[in-house]
Amino acid sequence: MQRKFDKRLILSSVLILIAIPLTIAFGVVFLHDRKYYFISIAILIYTMLPFLLVFEQRGPRAREIILVCSLSAIAVIGRAAFFMLPHFKPVAAIVIISAVCLGPESGFLVGALSGFVSNFFYGQGPWTPWQMFSFGIIGFWAGVLHRKGILKLRKLDLCVFGGLSTFLIYGGLMNFDSVLMFSSTINKDLLLAAYLSGIPFDLVHAASTVLFLFFIEEPMIEKITRIRVKYGLINESELLKDS
Amino acid sequence: MEQIKITGLSFSYPNTNGTGLSDMNLSVQKGDFILLFGRSGCGKSTFLKQLKPVIAPFGKRKGSIEFCGRDITSLSHREQSTAIGFVSQNPDNQIVTDKVWHELAFGLESLGCDSKTIRLRVAEMASFFGIQDWFYKPVTELSGGQRQILNLASVMVMQPQVLLLDEPTSQLDPIATANFVQMLRKINEELDVTILISEHHLEEVLPVCSRVLFMDGGRLVLDTKPREIGREMNRINSDMAAALPDCVKIFTAFCSGESPVNVKEAKQWLEATVRPQAEPETKPEQKQPLPDGAPAVTLSDVWFRYDKKERDIVKGVSLQIRQGTVYSIVGGNGVGKSTLLSLIGGVYAPYRGKVKLFGQDLFKIKPEERYRDLFGYLPQEPQNLFRRKTVRLDLEELAARISPDRESAEAQIKNVSEFFHLEPLLARHPFDLSGGEQQCAAMAKVMLTNPRILLLDEPTKGIDSVFKQKLSQWLKALKAQGKTIVLVSHDLDFCADCSDVCALMFNGEIIAENTVRQFFTGNRFYTTPLNRIVRDIFPNCLTYEEVIPLCRENLIRG
Amino acid sequence: MWAVTGMFQKNSPDAFSSYHPVILFLYFCVVLFFTMFFLHPVLLAISFCSVFLYSVQLNGRKAIRFNIFCMLPVTVIVSLINPLFSHAGVTILFYLNENPVTLESIAFGIVSGGAFITVIIAFSCFNKILTSDKLMYLFGRLIPVLSLMFSMTLRFVPRYKAQIKKIANAQLCIGMDASHGNLLQRVKNGIQILSILITWALENAIETADSMKARGFGLKGRTSFSVFSWKRRDKTLLATEAALLFALLLGLGLGKFESVYFPAIRIAWPEGKSAAFYLAYALFCLLPIIVNRRENIVWNKLKSPD
Repeated sequence: MQRKFDKRLILSSVLILIAIPLTIAFGVVFLHDRKYYFISIAILIYTMLPFLLVFEQRGPRAREIILVCSLSAIAVIGRAAFFMLPHFKPVAAIVIISAVCLGPESGFLVGALSGFVSNFFYGQGPWTPWQMFSFGIIGFWAGVLHRKGILKLRKLDLCVFGGLSTFLIYGGLMNFDSVLMFSSTINKDLLLAAYLSGIPFDLVHAASTVLFLFFIEEPMIEKITRIRVKYGLINESELLKDS
Repeated sequence: MEQIKITGLSFSYPNTNGTGLSDMNLSVQKGDFILLFGRSGCGKSTFLKQLKPVIAPFGKRKGSIEFCGRDITSLSHREQSTAIGFVSQNPDNQIVTDKVWHELAFGLESLGCDSKTIRLRVAEMASFFGIQDWFYKPVTELSGGQRQILNLASVMVMQPQVLLLDEPTSQLDPIATANFVQMLRKINEELDVTILISEHHLEEVLPVCSRVLFMDGGRLVLDTKPREIGREMNRINSDMAAALPDCVKIFTAFCSGESPVNVKEAKQWLEATVRPQAEPETKPEQKQPLPDGAPAVTLSDVWFRYDKKERDIVKGVSLQIRQGTVYSIVGGNGVGKSTLLSLIGGVYAPYRGKVKLFGQDLFKIKPEERYRDLFGYLPQEPQNLFRRKTVRLDLEELAARISPDRESAEAQIKNVSEFFHLEPLLARHPFDLSGGEQQCAAMAKVMLTNPRILLLDEPTKGIDSVFKQKLSQWLKALKAQGKTIVLVSHDLDFCADCSDVCALMFNGEIIAENTVRQFFTGNRFYTTPLNRIVRDIFPNCLTYEEVIPLCRENLIRG
Repeated sequence: MWAVTGMFQKNSPDAFSSYHPVILFLYFCVVLFFTMFFLHPVLLAISFCSVFLYSVQLNGRKAIRFNIFCMLPVTVIVSLINPLFSHAGVTILFYLNENPVTLESIAFGIVSGGAFITVIIAFSCFNKILTSDKLMYLFGRLIPVLSLMFSMTLRFVPRYKAQIKKIANAQLCIGMDASHGNLLQRVKNGIQILSILITWALENAIETADSMKARGFGLKGRTSFSVFSWKRRDKTLLATEAALLFALLLGLGLGKFESVYFPAIRIAWPEGKSAAFYLAYALFCLLPIIVNRRENIVWNKLKSPD
């Protein structure tokens, strides 16, 4: 177990100490005006790697994996189901619930996987890694904060976290992406304009996350917990400790 | 060679829900084809899963299972995966990946085979099962029968010595079932793979198996040959004898030797034993007048397709269903039966033609009135109806919406739960129930809306014969209350038993419609297995209950 | 041996996409890299023309209409955004609301708009020919479990989609309707149906997990099978790609593709010998078209008797 953990640590160190500086150097030397865009995408992908490798290292358990896949597919379907309302999507809500139930790493995977797979139906593009990362990191933080006891399994907590994280993390990152896509440098005016023009969309998205969390948080957590008990992934005593 | 030896096997679940197993002893020889039957919940699945410990449920186990002389629990996960294959009930739930080829390769990938080996083995199996034509397809494009064949093939690529199948055909239509069973026979005969299969419907499997086991209450009650099962069931006097195929039942009513196992043998035996009836009262071809009464459902020239660009699913169907009758629509897979039913139910609207209920245009009735006091629709998958975490909560939610006050809601729930014998199930999660129990709960939920017209889509899918009889009685009771029932089914026995009028659908059209007796006796192929046995002697008989007294009267003594 | 060789031949939208996935992936990586990160007008023109031609080959006339009506306005807007917000650059053309509008930022806006449309078109081809099973193959070896999860999710999505329809119909027929009422009501009903789907999906997933375990999932040393294999024609094409890519990297290293917009425009135009590098890029970008064209010629020859 210890040794396996080390493997991922080594990978992360290699990425941070070698790959990232090399990428930055390459960008600065060869790419001039587009260096920020290139470097940011590359770093985004590096950051995701250790998360994505979670299940590669430990012996994969069918029931754990299938839960992650099911929840990702549900998130994708949820996005499709509310297609008629632009920016109104339950993905973040489902990711957050998955994360508090299954832990930060699974949370990240549900986010990243649903971002990736849903683009098979909406079309892949340069935005794919950004979406994967945004949803993934929302899940990761939800899981971490829940584990630390800061994010409690209460409607209020989850809704506040959901609204803020969708607005700040998802909105923040996606607007940043569009700035980088169209501009050479990151300047204050452009950022401001992008973020201001993004506010209505991000607000709708955040509101939808809050709404979804408000309605499905309780039944969904109950359902996932029931399944985990039925699967034998957790036992009842753990459950009592949880609540 | 003895392959599996079970001695004194007992098993109990940690929570007392669900029957365990008690003191089972069995010896399985290599190459056996064993059919396992018993009412649902008798421990068949529990037993089969004991033979594959990686998927065995948690619980207390006593006794021993030896596989080729070794304790089965000492087999590693790898050995179990290759040596023992398992196929379960629901074709969809077993498929893991999105492409046929990937699904076939899945097991070998898990074992860590290299690409060359996988390529060869997958190609071998695809050719053996004749599935190379859909090799590249996404699994969503396959029919239910094809999916189950795929599940079988993806287990067979691992070259198991023993194949365990837990009601593999319960979700399939008759044609797909026959196909599947022929595949099993091929595997057993040509590859010498030992097969243990549990089944509710024995018609297909009985002729091809070599041994039959009957289980009841977690015990192994009978272990016999297929030709002796009828006699043995009679000897122990079990009510499950009703589940046996008609060819066995009719024989064992008179003789106690080795029974026929298929229609041809039963027919030959019957013709040697019974005098033909002097003259039938009515000619089967004659068109009988359909029952009278006010029309409950009227379809006039109804056309439907799902999309403008697609082909027509329902083509100019006109029919009348009288109040207080049971109307069955039969036909092969994908002929538009279910679509027709959902048109009657107002789920879809026809692009031409009219659907009228009690003389009123369906779409002029407001949706909120339509599904209260008028319609009840039981979908093919009853799971889709459940919304809450217990059956009681589920019923309460709907009752609260429909009844004016609490008391009447309570009374309604009490009513339906009594009618459908739901009381012991009320506190349970709908998804923890067996297939038959889920059907009960779903029926109860539908009946709560107090419908005058009840629409049932494949109500006998995946349920055992005991529950089927119950269902048939309920339908008759509901009919007596004046309800109109329209059902779509593959189960001809069931239709013959409980309906008044039958219609055959083919390619989106109603090809034939007649009172049930005239309908079935007029068809040569599309009729009950029993009618096929006796049609040359007693052309008017449809059910076992009718045939027995006639046989008794006309027995050739000698 | 049986009809097995034919069995492993997959239907493809065109000749190029029937090549090994590594070749396809490499093609898109290089084209996207040079388009997105260089903004060199000549390179951009080459990649735009190539992917546009290829998208028309793949998607037919529909692609032309889509590109003109949907992409053109977006490109124009993108081209305008930059000069409005970025005031960098030394050549000031005029003042707008006291903000300088520079030649450099206009030029940059135009090329980044061009790059944007090229990337979008390139991805439309990417989506068409790099199907999910090819992507899974590409990453399957590196990350077998994750690529399996990806395949499983792809399996679940259409299944859940069909189920959601069935659930909606079933609920409709007991009067728990989702298609009527005001927006909030509809959203609430939609959430309710999603919630039913969640129960259904999770409960049924148990059996899927069992089916995985029964077939040895979780054993050490899982491999990743694919229907793709390296044929000789694949190796030849890969070698061509590699040679051209080498030339491109050489050109990159020698600064032949330099394009700087700020503070002042400095672009290395193709002159004399350096034109060869641009030719290499054009060849690379046109690879799918060349491959498809050659296939057509061969077939026409085979069909028509001499």
